[in-house]
Amino acid sequence: MLQLAPEDTQAIMLSLKVAFTATLLSLPLGFATAWLMVFRSFRGKVLLEVLVNLPLTLPPVVIGYFLLLLLGRNGWAGKVLDTWGIHLVFTWKAAVIASATVGFPLLVRSIRLGMESIDRQLVQASRSLGASWFDTLLTVVLPLSLRGILAGSSLMFARSLGEFGATIIVAGNIPGLTQTIPLAIYDYASSPSSTMMALSLCIVAVVISVSVLFMHEMLGRNLEKKELL
Amino acid sequence: MKKTLRYPVIMLLLMLLRSMPAIAGEVNLSVAASLKEVINELTAKYEKSHPGTVFVKNFGASGALAGQIENGAPSDLFIAANNEWMDYLKNKSLVDKASERIFTRNVLVFTGTTGRNISSMRDLKKLEKIGIGSPKSVPAGDYATTAIKNAGMQQQLQGKLVMAKDVRECLMYAELIEVDGSFVYRTDALQAKKAKLRFIVPQKLYPEVVYPMALTAKAAANSDARGFFTYLQGREAKSVLKKYGFILK
Amino acid sequence: MKLQIDVTKTQGNFTLQASATVEGHRTGLFGQSGCGKSTLVHLISGLVQPDRGEIVLDDLTLFSSAKNISLHPEQRRIAIVFQQAMLFPHLGVKANLLYGYKRCSTENRRIDPKAIIEVLQLAPLLKRGVNRLSGGEKQRVALGRAVLSNPRLLLMDEPLSALDDTLRFQIIPYLKSVSAEFGIPYLFISHSVLEMQLMTDQILVMKEGAITEKTTSDQLARNRMAGSQTGYLNLLALRNPVMENGLHRYPWGTGNLLISDGQADEPSLFELSSRDIILFKQHPEAISARNLLECTVKELFGSDGRIGAVLSANGETLVAEIVRSAADDLGITEGSTLFAAIKASSFRKLG
Repeated sequence: MLQLAPEDTQAIMLSLKVAFTATLLSLPLGFATAWLMVFRSFRGKVLLEVLVNLPLTLPPVVIGYFLLLLLGRNGWAGKVLDTWGIHLVFTWKAAVIASATVGFPLLVRSIRLGMESIDRQLVQASRSLGASWFDTLLTVVLPLSLRGILAGSSLMFARSLGEFGATIIVAGNIPGLTQTIPLAIYDYASSPSSTMMALSLCIVAVVISVSVLFMHEMLGRNLEKKELL
Repeated sequence: MKKTLRYPVIMLLLMLLRSMPAIAGEVNLSVAASLKEVINELTAKYEKSHPGTVFVKNFGASGALAGQIENGAPSDLFIAANNEWMDYLKNKSLVDKASERIFTRNVLVFTGTTGRNISSMRDLKKLEKIGIGSPKSVPAGDYATTAIKNAGMQQQLQGKLVMAKDVRECLMYAELIEVDGSFVYRTDALQAKKAKLRFIVPQKLYPEVVYPMALTAKAAANSDARGFFTYLQGREAKSVLKKYGFILK
Repeated sequence: MKLQIDVTKTQGNFTLQASATVEGHRTGLFGQSGCGKSTLVHLISGLVQPDRGEIVLDDLTLFSSAKNISLHPEQRRIAIVFQQAMLFPHLGVKANLLYGYKRCSTENRRIDPKAIIEVLQLAPLLKRGVNRLSGGEKQRVALGRAVLSNPRLLLMDEPLSALDDTLRFQIIPYLKSVSAEFGIPYLFISHSVLEMQLMTDQILVMKEGAITEKTTSDQLARNRMAGSQTGYLNLLALRNPVMENGLHRYPWGTGNLLISDGQADEPSLFELSSRDIILFKQHPEAISARNLLECTVKELFGSDGRIGAVLSANGETLVAEIVRSAADDLGITEGSTLFAAIKASSFRKLG
């Protein structure tokens, strides 16, 4: 029943690779951003909030287009990268950037929620016991945000697996290089004689998403058990 | 007097409305993307000489168009860029087999913005990104894939092929610096602004590019469609095709 | 410990402008909710910056707007014991205890963890997770944690307010012993006069963002006698009672007291309200109250329309409260001899 061509297996591997990388790369910045938004006050904070949430409201193709303008060889950042010999557009790195950009607000949002439930007095206690703000961040805020970090990562991972609009614009549909599962399905879907192949790939996509959600639940329960001890 | 006229007028209107399955004079075209300019010009000319005829044009990859027709999209006339997709619809009895003709022909070329010296299929291995129509639905991509296979370049070009959804998107890629070049038809390459034609793909590497055209099964009732179909085989159509660089035999 | 404060801070509608110098080991900060006590605690500990002013602790300038000095909280070595223990939920009891200790430089580490564990009786709790501890246990761990950071000053921000009465008076001995044994001065913040009496020698009173007076705990209790629900609370530390007709006879000064609610094996702390002492000009022949003391009036003080009589009996002191008209009727003056009657059930055991 399940027919998978070698390109499909490539697409699956690529999807996983891009999703993992996008999530891992976004974690430090996502954590720092959430921390800034929850524990610090400064001028222009509203602007930061708007910027972080922007990708949630923009259509992914628009995001892809902006990324293309920015990173393309004639782009603002692209020109600089070109001088260092770095080309990002139409590579798997661009796919990672596309996924990271659309998933970032989801990551930050989840981590924020986790952080907001941390009693402010715990942070005060930590400071008064001799910990600098950075020490407090690592030894108190981070461990207590784990649930939020985990939730955000799973959400971001799942979103990356399904990323299409921004990816196809800035990374292109290159089998073996940037053709992730959604792009491969799109390819199949354009051809009326390939419905069975598309279906097979769709089933794989569903199985992966279910597994991610399952793991998320299990890990979440594990953390809960530890907290109750 | 007015009272007695009202009833017949209403009846006439109702009769007219009942006998119109679609808007009078509307012709739905499903045309391969590479024929965009040609068909736009021909329909404009036809609309001038046949007022009342309105064209609804759908340009795209032949495979995608065949899929739409199969799923019930309104279409009176189908022009594909290869035999495969026309055969596909013939096998499903969605086109009028008797009406099938060859509209025109074309050749496959390689064009691009790359700074490298590219003059043959083998030179392509020097490049990093090559645009190609998705062979699953774009005939130009299928032709190109066949050519690559027959030139023995399949392994070397792995991971370099950027899939386009139709040949025009393929041309768009060729115009970008990020893509070194693309496989398009010569007629598309002539439209390019930045991309430069590098070489014509040797014909021995791929089957001849033909554009079969046919009326769909639904078009049987559409006299305007049949009229336009005939027009496409006429002299004026041929001269427009020639102007854009298509091959006539 | 010498603390000099002179700070101003405006937060929204509330302005704090506090100025005081205080020296001593057991200082209290007294005031009602909303007077600015917590804000002052945050300013002293460095968690919040004053708008301007100066804070100096033992010749170390913690904050000075004039000299542009502002030490971070972690540099001040001022530990806080909060109302709600605030133990780190992701760390065990031992890790909590050692959190500040680990961050204390070795030359500053005067206090040994083992000693603290012993004094606060934390040994049975060490292996437990913090979520399984009772309120009192949590507060003891919090105290241990704060002390183990070897602070210059211990700020206790209403540490007993969240505990029930029994627990409250069980913790107090720990608080006092830790400070005494390890020589750590503290600033004890509370709105309870009784806690002030038990914990502090001198008190700063705060009202509407300002420090309005510096007084002793005894003086504070006296001032609040009339307004308090329980009058002036006399505190008596008694031990080694003898049972007599179902009552406990405790030695007190040169005499005894009969108390119904006593405890045979341990020393106990009792509170006796000034309002539960009835005064007689002459010896009442028969009286139901089991305690009848002959006493001399050492001192009289006024408190909002009431009179406080400081009585000397059996070599000890008690404060009784009467209305002005009663004082006039009985002709009570300093030096008068009176009889004080106290029911055995009027003594309430604390803890």
